[in-house]
Amino acid sequence: MNNDYLWDGSGTPDPDVQRLEALLGRLRSIPPVPQLPETPVRWRSVRYLTPMLAAAAAIIVMIGVAWQSTRGSASWEVASIAGQPRIGSTALAGTGRIAVGQTLVTDAVSRARMQVSSIGSVTIEPGTRVRLVETRDAHHQLALDRGTLHAVISAPPGQFVVDTPSARATDLGCAYMLHVDEDGSGMLSVTSGWVAFEFNGREAFVPAGASCRTHPQLGPGTPRYDDARQEYREALDEFDFGDPARRPDALRVILGDRSNADAVTLWHLISRVDAADRAAIVNALVDQLPMPAGVTREAVLRLDRLALDRWWSELGLGDADWWRKWKAEYPAAR
Amino acid sequence: MPLTFPAPVERDRPDEGKLRLADTIRAVAEGDRNAFALLYADYVRMVHAILLGRVPRRDVDDLVQDVFIAAYTRLRELREPAAFGGWLATIARNRATDYLRQSREHVALPVELPGGDPIEAETMAVLDIVSKLPEAYRETLLMRLVEGMTGAEIAERSGLTPASVRVNLHRGMKLLRENLQAVPDHHGGERTSSSVGQNQS
Repeated sequence: MNNDYLWDGSGTPDPDVQRLEALLGRLRSIPPVPQLPETPVRWRSVRYLTPMLAAAAAIIVMIGVAWQSTRGSASWEVASIAGQPRIGSTALAGTGRIAVGQTLVTDAVSRARMQVSSIGSVTIEPGTRVRLVETRDAHHQLALDRGTLHAVISAPPGQFVVDTPSARATDLGCAYMLHVDEDGSGMLSVTSGWVAFEFNGREAFVPAGASCRTHPQLGPGTPRYDDARQEYREALDEFDFGDPARRPDALRVILGDRSNADAVTLWHLISRVDAADRAAIVNALVDQLPMPAGVTREAVLRLDRLALDRWWSELGLGDADWWRKWKAEYPAAR
Repeated sequence: MPLTFPAPVERDRPDEGKLRLADTIRAVAEGDRNAFALLYADYVRMVHAILLGRVPRRDVDDLVQDVFIAAYTRLRELREPAAFGGWLATIARNRATDYLRQSREHVALPVELPGGDPIEAETMAVLDIVSKLPEAYRETLLMRLVEGMTGAEIAERSGLTPASVRVNLHRGMKLLRENLQAVPDHHGGERTSSSVGQNQS
């Protein structure tokens, strides 16, 4: 005990110091531990290197760099398209690199393009904050905190993943737009291929031409095609995220609009409606897409996963079996 | 509200549970990420305080991460593990200087204005006054008043002697009181040292 409040908080409190602690203590912040680059570090050993050893090391480094370039390095190239995006706290002029753990931020007028290893690119729109979480062979991952990105990926499904506060988007060979609002809600719009959108076990498969909203507590809503009528889209939003008491009314609008109620939307609704409404959804889907051989109405009504997946595969948009296998290998890191 | 100082927490260190700083640094240099996380936990408040006194608050967290990544990649330059704290502080100061230079060269950053919250306004006003103190006083006071470090912790992390820290704290606090008294408060009156933070509920 030093009896010195300013030194260690002991002794008689100093009112001025107490007030300053309370006031300035509001500024305390401990940011998360940064993701480290893959850069190998060897402490002190450099001191003992002979010139010959240094030359040998240089050769090894060059070989290593060449090898890294062929297998994908722990950073991506980033180019400024407009304004001055920031990587971490550094303003990006022209091109630069973003390392694992670093954050790219665009202001209201800046845009940037990231090269996703060798498999595609991501355009970062104004007002966006995105972090490179991981990049290695066959697995590349971003976290979109807010804003908008456009991804164009040419790779086997599952190699590119974007986490948002309310869902994880897994590329299944595609091009898409992903937007996240300040409150963590978001929107996924797919222009090519399809994307799996998932949060806490709630899944949505979104094909080209369709979109899907997502909510921070609820996860992905029900996918719908972009050319659906406004009233139909609003009914789906009401069903997914609105007052539960209004869900029956919303469902009536959805089922009553056969010209807009597409098979993709109906397939998702099977597992989202109450049991009492499930038969009506199954009937509506059967009208558009007959059940394949081996899939029974009873199995679907009891939400048998295999039966639902086989019916999904009949849509011809992608094989659900593949998605199940991928998910088992890469469970959500939440 | 008086600040409390929690008792030191016994934490598991890599391998043997309680490695000394040199062992931790050596483990980090060999790629041990758990050791890096421990080093980060021990020094993040010091780095945060140094940056907070120099750059806009909104960029401090990002810069903290930049500093630790830079330290990790440059660890081979550190010859004496005991000098780690001072070396890390230098990286933080240099990073802040680079940031300010780049900001002037590339981006017209908007002035950091507090929002409508009177406590927020008071906080930023006091931070502005602290940030204008001489470096040694500014950094030591921010570690004490913002980060809640004790004088002994400040000395251990920064590499300063306890006597130097004590002098910095007391002279810095004296100067801060004088500067606070000289600045009009939000109501147009002159602020007294005893009025510091009195907008708080």
